[in-house]
Amino acid sequence: MHDARDAEDALLLERGDHETLIAAYKDVVVQRCLVGTRDESGYDVAQNVFLRLWQELRRGKRYTVPYRVVVHKVVDWTLKEHFAGGRTELPLPEGWDPADPVDPYTDVDDSDLDALWADLPAGDRDVLDLRYMHGLEISEIATRLAKEPNAVHQALHRAHAKLRRMTGDG
Amino acid sequence: MADVADLFDDWAAALARGEQPDPVAFIRAAGDRGDELARLMDRYLRTRPRPDPDPETVELARAWIAGEAPLVRLRVRHGLRHDDVVDAVMTEFALEPGQRPAVKRYYHRLEAGQLDPSRLARPLLDLLARMLGAQAGSILAWRPRPLDVAPAFRVPLDALAEGPRTALAPPAREPEEDDEQVRALFIAR
Repeated sequence: MHDARDAEDALLLERGDHETLIAAYKDVVVQRCLVGTRDESGYDVAQNVFLRLWQELRRGKRYTVPYRVVVHKVVDWTLKEHFAGGRTELPLPEGWDPADPVDPYTDVDDSDLDALWADLPAGDRDVLDLRYMHGLEISEIATRLAKEPNAVHQALHRAHAKLRRMTGDG
Repeated sequence: MADVADLFDDWAAALARGEQPDPVAFIRAAGDRGDELARLMDRYLRTRPRPDPDPETVELARAWIAGEAPLVRLRVRHGLRHDDVVDAVMTEFALEPGQRPAVKRYYHRLEAGQLDPSRLARPLLDLLARMLGAQAGSILAWRPRPLDVAPAFRVPLDALAEGPRTALAPPAREPEEDDEQVRALFIAR
């Protein structure tokens, strides 16, 4: 799933369509910043993430990693500086390279939802797609897939358990 | 206290519907298991493919990049004048005519990025969202971008320490009489 989006991002970068690129990542940036700060200061951090991303786009910076990796790294970095009391509105250093193996912020999770749930039964994956890609209600999913609502809950439960194991909470 | 799995499920499904759910509210609802829920959410956000941006978000991003105030862009898109919004605030909150200048002043500061939208009283935020045809989350997410400073007027780096919008001090003015009720709408938190 990431591959298709990565290709679209590369095309947007090539075209210089910065507004679509920033708009595409707006929700993930805002949500991650709010989850990170757990209060309204997340909106301020998100603003500075947008600012940093845009400053780099305007400078014409090119990356050797997919753009989503850049976005997540800038979020990580900006949150880290926010908690350290740093000035998160300042541009990133010129030489910042998200592909640099000695970069302290290289710990980017490259996992993919499809890969994460790949070994779940096909029926479960259908449930997850309808719930987490299309936002359908449990009853709607049950009707559409001709399942009992309880079976939908069970599929979601198995997916949550997998996600939990990834975070060390399972 | 709500179950972490249920909270995660509700939040992730709302995200899929493009509703811009407030993750902070979900984490608070998890009580002492808020850390666990936050880790799940963060991991999910990293692994989930980004959605297609909707036209409104692209338009707001375009305004932001152009250095325009996103709130102004939303207002103009709906054919609303500044005074139309002020009138709606006056009516919605049954304010007295004498309070209009204060509403006008605060709303101007909000559009100019001098007020933090996350401090708006919720009923006012909801009113603006309705009027401007935007989600409340969009109003909270987009602030006017700090404008570039021409080299001849470049501000020393140290002067930026207080924040990009406050680096250039506004012209000195006579202090204006404040209105506590209006202030409580625009600076509620």
